This record gives sequence, structure tokens and C-alpha cells, in this order.
Amino acid sequence: MSQSKSRRSPLFSTFFPILLVLIAFLSFIALGFWQLDRAAQVKELQKPYEEQPLVALSKVAKPNSNLDGASVNRIVEFSGSYVAQFDAPNQIDKKGVRGTWLVGLMEVDGGGYILVVRSGSNSDLPRGDIVVTGRLFHRQYEDLSDRSAGQLSRLDPSILVGDYPGDYYDGFVLAKSELRDGISLEVPRVFLDPAAPTIPGYYWQHIAYVLIWWLMALVVVFLPIYSRFREREGRAKE
Amino acid sequence: MKGVVLRFRVMALLAGVMSLLLWFVELPVVYLMDAPDLEAKVKWIPFVHGYIYAFYVLTAIHFTAKARFTIKRMIMFILAGTLPVFSFIAERRVSREYKF
Repeated sequence: MSQSKSRRSPLFSTFFPILLVLIAFLSFIALGFWQLDRAAQVKELQKPYEEQPLVALSKVAKPNSNLDGASVNRIVEFSGSYVAQFDAPNQIDKKGVRGTWLVGLMEVDGGGYILVVRSGSNSDLPRGDIVVTGRLFHRQYEDLSDRSAGQLSRLDPSILVGDYPGDYYDGFVLAKSELRDGISLEVPRVFLDPAAPTIPGYYWQHIAYVLIWWLMALVVVFLPIYSRFREREGRAKE
Repeated sequence: MKGVVLRFRVMALLAGVMSLLLWFVELPVVYLMDAPDLEAKVKWIPFVHGYIYAFYVLTAIHFTAKARFTIKRMIMFILAGTLPVFSFIAERRVSREYKF
């Protein structure tokens, strides 16, 4: 028993600390690379948005699921019928003009409701099956007005769940066109720039964290050397 | 040793101030308030804190190695820069211990 203990002790006193140092060193190096990737992503996102091909809504979003970051800004196509229309006051368009937008609640063929920003001025809600093409956006989080009957305080499907129970697509669609029986519905559309997806933090902030993580990796290697140095110094003093 | 202590004390105070700003100004503004204008005004805090902490770590290692501190104490000094107030405590202890 004592033999096996004495056989095990060099393993614990030598290899275990080396293993710990190695794990810590590699972890800090990996964290540095992770921050370097984030810095590169931040830089990438500062480039102008590149348009992607039109896609069916069902390919990039599902009802009752959070909208994936990669799906935001995609131009989508879907069909269904409008069940209600609301005013969304104080919305700001591409030119910075504040106005009341008309937002339709559409029941999508295949299931689920989605909010569609249809127009920047009055227009009747079209009946029947409508094919919508438009850009997908994240839901809004901030109220821009009070909520009342027929009025949306923000473009967020969650505020309609009480009045229209059912499955909802996350976010909203800014309609570029609406077709009924193959004929385009001409209404004054709202224009918005593609949403700028964000990664928390700033380029030089991530670079600072790269520096810190890699510095920590060096510290992890330095500490055992320092410990040896102190031991040797202590022995020399004795 | 005087220069090493002075460098550490200056960096400890700077790291402490930056930690306070990070924990009690930048983080609440970004994660608790929805104020993009204010967020833009405090965006310099995390990145300045990042670089100052890196320099703080270097001065902490230099000082604790020169003072022949134990590894445990060295690690405590390094970590003191990550939490608000702790680097101030470290600075006070050092200034009490090393009077020139």
C-alpha cells in the first residue's frame, strides 16, 4: 500500500502540476484566440451588408422560435391572408422621417402569424390570399407610443398574443411588394436600411482582451519558474 | 524598489478607478438601460480598462517578484485588479508596508 503511494507521489508532484499549467496555458491561449475572432467579426460587420438571394420564409424562420441572427435582413417570400391591421405610430424610416406605419397581421399559409409593415400611409387591408415579399427584421424592444385598440406600441408580435392567440413568427417583415392573384398591390411602401447586426464590444476592446488572456498564459508559465527560483533562493540562504 | 512600488501604486489606483467605472457605469448602461446615446458615451471604458489592467498585471508581477512574495500573494495581487475596490486595498497595503 505504502509502495503504491510512493509510486504515485512523483506523478502527483511532477506531472499533475505540469498538466494543470498546460491546461491553464492552453485555455488562456484559446480565450485569446476567441477574442481575436470576435475582433475580426466586429471588423467584418462594419463592412456594407451584402444582399442574399430571396428565400421562402419557412426556410429561415419558424413560428414560436427566436429569429436567428443569420435570418435577419433576409428577403423572404410567403403567402397568407391578413386578419387585422394596426397603426404603429412614431416609427422612423430610412430618411429619418417619423410617421405612422400600417402593420398587417398575416396568417401564413402553413401556420403561424407574422407582422407585416405594409405602408407608410392609409391603405385598406387587402382580403384574400396575398403573396408578400419583404425584408425580415428583429422585433422592436422599445415602445414608441402607447398601446391601444388598433395601435401597436412597438413592432413586436408578443404584444398581440393576448388578442390573437396562436403561433407567431418572431420579428416583422417590411413588405417590398404584395401580390393578389398575381397583381401587385400599389401602396406607398416604407423603406429601411438593413439592420446592422451587432456583436457586443468594440474592436480595440477585444484586442485588449486578447492581450490580457495571452498575458495570463505567460503568467501561468512564469509562476512555476518563479516558484523554483524562490525555492532555490531559500535553499541558498539556508 | 522605490520605482517599482510607485509604478504598482499608480497602476493599482488607475485599475481601481477603471474597475469602478466598468462595474458601476458601463455595465449598467449597456445591460440595464436602453440608452444608445449614453452607451456611445461610455464605450471607451471597457477598452481603456482592458489595456490598463494588462499594464497593472505587469506592474503587479514586477512588484511582487521584487518583494519576493509567495505565489499565492502574487496571484492575489494580479486578481485584485479585476474587482472594484480590491486594487485600492492592495495599493493601501503596499503603501503602508513600503514607506520611502
